[in-house]
Amino acid sequence: MAMRQTPLTCSGHTRPVVDLAFSGITPYGYFLISACKDGKPMLRQGDTGDWIGTFLGHKGAVWGATLNKDATKAATAAADFTAKVWDAVSGDELMTLAHKHIVKTVDFTQDSNYLLTGGQDKLLRIYDLNKPEAEPKEISGHTSGIKKALWCSDDKQILSADDKTVRLWDHATMTEVKSVNFNMSVSSMEYIPEGEVLVLTYGRTIAFHSAVSLEPIKSFEAPATINSASLHPEKEFLVAGGEDFKLYKYDYNSGEELESYKGHFGPIHCVRFSPDGELYASGSEDGTLRLWQTVVGKTYGLWKCVLPEEDSAELPKPKIAFPETAEEELEEIASENSDSIYSSTPEVKA
Amino acid sequence: MQTPRTIPVPVPVLRLPRGPDGFSRGFAPDGRRTLLRPNAPEVGEGAQDPPELQEQRARAALRERYLRSLLAMVGHPVSFTLHEGVHVTAQFGATDLDVANFYVSQLQTPIGVQAEALLRCSDIISYSFKL
Repeated sequence: MAMRQTPLTCSGHTRPVVDLAFSGITPYGYFLISACKDGKPMLRQGDTGDWIGTFLGHKGAVWGATLNKDATKAATAAADFTAKVWDAVSGDELMTLAHKHIVKTVDFTQDSNYLLTGGQDKLLRIYDLNKPEAEPKEISGHTSGIKKALWCSDDKQILSADDKTVRLWDHATMTEVKSVNFNMSVSSMEYIPEGEVLVLTYGRTIAFHSAVSLEPIKSFEAPATINSASLHPEKEFLVAGGEDFKLYKYDYNSGEELESYKGHFGPIHCVRFSPDGELYASGSEDGTLRLWQTVVGKTYGLWKCVLPEEDSAELPKPKIAFPETAEEELEEIASENSDSIYSSTPEVKA
Repeated sequence: MQTPRTIPVPVPVLRLPRGPDGFSRGFAPDGRRTLLRPNAPEVGEGAQDPPELQEQRARAALRERYLRSLLAMVGHPVSFTLHEGVHVTAQFGATDLDVANFYVSQLQTPIGVQAEALLRCSDIISYSFKL
């Protein structure tokens, strides 16, 4: 029986979702934070998309958001010229770090002791979170606004991307180690520690580079301009989304396009795999986050596999009924935003 | 009603993700993760927290840890100590809802390797595995 992907739509934001990040796997599961132009980043349970809380305090669009490994702290970068550090359990604001321009990116070290920030002032800043009053260390060198900055190589190095370059810096000496130029604007960057892989997107290209040498490994071309891509933890698949509102899933080894999904009502700004690789989340201009299964039909989180033999009167009836409708209506159902689809009165759609 | 076999069935879901409640900023104060912050809610709350509630919380936390330990075991080799001094190892698959049976594969027994097996909980004295 062929199964069709049912994305889970997480609503709540009122403006475009521009960044999202997962935590590591904690004893309480894993978590997801979303950055939104409405200035109210949200924390959600990673495997279900259930809203946990909203971090209130920023006075401008939030451009970047991240969680530390055990999801006890969150950090956000905003257009109000500040980066903020939050207690991700209580939702309280812990620190406000003033900058001289829009802050775009934030990243914690593995031990959560340092926060890396970057933004339109073209400076990388390293804050010691145990000494919030101390001035941050600054690294200059970028000639255009920094879009993304990440710790790499066990927090000994820093990767940063501005409009046309990706640079590698040594943390201890605060100096540039390597840089790569691109003809087109780099739209996203992801770092995979296992295997030291850097995932970059620019134009319609999804490129993979060594995070150590910045040498290219391979690249794929998508049918449309891609804004973000993510590599599966086991490096079997990659997912990408961009300006044509669609999500694409590729086989990492062969480059073959495996699946593609419509569903968002606007360009996709960010895509990330969950830390266990079982699902990926996409954030869009339409203000929603959607969760997608890596293996369609598997029982995981809110998705429940129903085998053909189980379709009998013995099982308790699930609250969701799937009326037998035409192809177009199924398409509509799968991509709808509202709650009414999952009601127990399928006659509404008939 | 005839359904053409070519129409794929959408994966069923239990429910939709819960959204914001619309009136608070969330981060439920009685949520599970608040156990990570034992200091904060202490002030003046001792009186409101009857011993039964504390015990129930502790029971719930222990139960959750146990269930998570079962999850962590999936796919790992586990050593079981059974009655009569019998020790067997197998790859853990799952338990049933009441943890009355352990579904394992590649069970190494004194009389050979069983590809798939069910171990009755009542037969098991203890089990251990490496994380």
